[in-house]
Amino acid sequence: MTAFAIQTHSLVKTFGLGRKQISAVDGLSLHVPEGSVYGLLGRNSAGKTTTIRMAMGLARPTSGTIDVFGLNPTRDPERVSVLRQVGYVPEDKMLASLSPRKLLELNRSFYPGTWSDDLARKVIKRLELPLDTPYMKLSLGDKTKSALAAAIAQCSRLLILDEPTTGLDPIALDELLRLLVEDCTAEGRTIFLSSHQLAEIEQIADHIGIMDRGKILLEGPLDDIRANFHRFTVTGASLPAGGAAILSATRDAHATRYIIQRDPESFSHELICNGATILDSNPMSLNEIFLELCRTAESREEVSA
Amino acid sequence: MLFLRLSASSGVPVHLQIEQQIKQSIASGVLCAGDPLPSTRRTAADLRINPNTVARAFQNLEREGIIRTVPGGGTYVASFAAPGAGLLKAEKIRRLRPLADQIAVEASQLRFSSEDVHKLLDTALLELEKARRARKSDPRVEPQEGDR
Repeated sequence: MTAFAIQTHSLVKTFGLGRKQISAVDGLSLHVPEGSVYGLLGRNSAGKTTTIRMAMGLARPTSGTIDVFGLNPTRDPERVSVLRQVGYVPEDKMLASLSPRKLLELNRSFYPGTWSDDLARKVIKRLELPLDTPYMKLSLGDKTKSALAAAIAQCSRLLILDEPTTGLDPIALDELLRLLVEDCTAEGRTIFLSSHQLAEIEQIADHIGIMDRGKILLEGPLDDIRANFHRFTVTGASLPAGGAAILSATRDAHATRYIIQRDPESFSHELICNGATILDSNPMSLNEIFLELCRTAESREEVSA
Repeated sequence: MLFLRLSASSGVPVHLQIEQQIKQSIASGVLCAGDPLPSTRRTAADLRINPNTVARAFQNLEREGIIRTVPGGGTYVASFAAPGAGLLKAEKIRRLRPLADQIAVEASQLRFSSEDVHKLLDTALLELEKARRARKSDPRVEPQEGDR
């Protein structure tokens, strides 16, 4: 049985009262296996940050459940032991007027059991973080870096990064990816990161969840997702118009383009058996899969509205 | 020394890219029997990819007998890594067939004659052989098996 670092079941969070209610998270079921690098992907306001805040006990679910290492982060004695095991880099890094040095010292005192000075020094050096500038005078990228240094040096069992690439230049981003792989993936530790930097996620993640309007559209091991999604360009008579495996079919004068979401081999076999000609057949990048899924979900919503 | 590079846009799964490049390095003599490979974690950090991806590539190569892992002692190019020396011919065909199919499709689309395709393949094989010979006459010290 797989143990989960984070698991949610029909999780709902609504904001506002009366008619102006907005569901930021709307029946979300998420499964983050322990030891994985899990990338939560979604457009702006898909509900990623709200989900993370609930995992950290910073927001209370309207209904449904969320647990972190089997513990409930919204109830108080359990919440403490959740926080002890989790390193968190929030998206809006409001850390008063501390300099990065003070921030690190403060965080160090909270985690005497796991904190690593060596790792803190390494992150500071690799990311070139200025230590003595007051927080409010730091650039956006340096604010991100100081939050990252504080969370990574904590050596937690679970590291939650909410948009960890905000404001980072390409070199700092590259160093961050190296640090994460080198120092944060050993010994069954889990990284959970939300982002829309799909190319970077595609490199380091092994599990993916794609989220839109508070719901999960797709979740699973990245290798499986890659093997399942495929694009075909086909000509022929009597082509299938729909089916469980077909995510979308676009017809033009000469050919039909299919996006397939499972078992592309049997789909192409079926096409050939029906006398169709496959003009082109390509695997899809995570970016293309993401775009297709979000667009399809959007058009379905419009039809039903 | 092993230099791996990945292409995100190629559509080829990353673990396959690693496997192919290691095989290529052995075939051209850049890597020799007994040469150590960097650790999984090190390779993953250098390439900024998930360590499981590298582990998967190494496992596949080990299953094919191309590299071997000494428990707690690292990974090495296997001593009889004339790759696939021990494989059945049927298995070799199974692996090469998709590549041959791909060449056939591309060639027919480009109206490239069968004769020219054969010539192209012969040249590629010849160049590999040349590279291997050039390495052998290179007077650098050959790392010995078990010498680590």
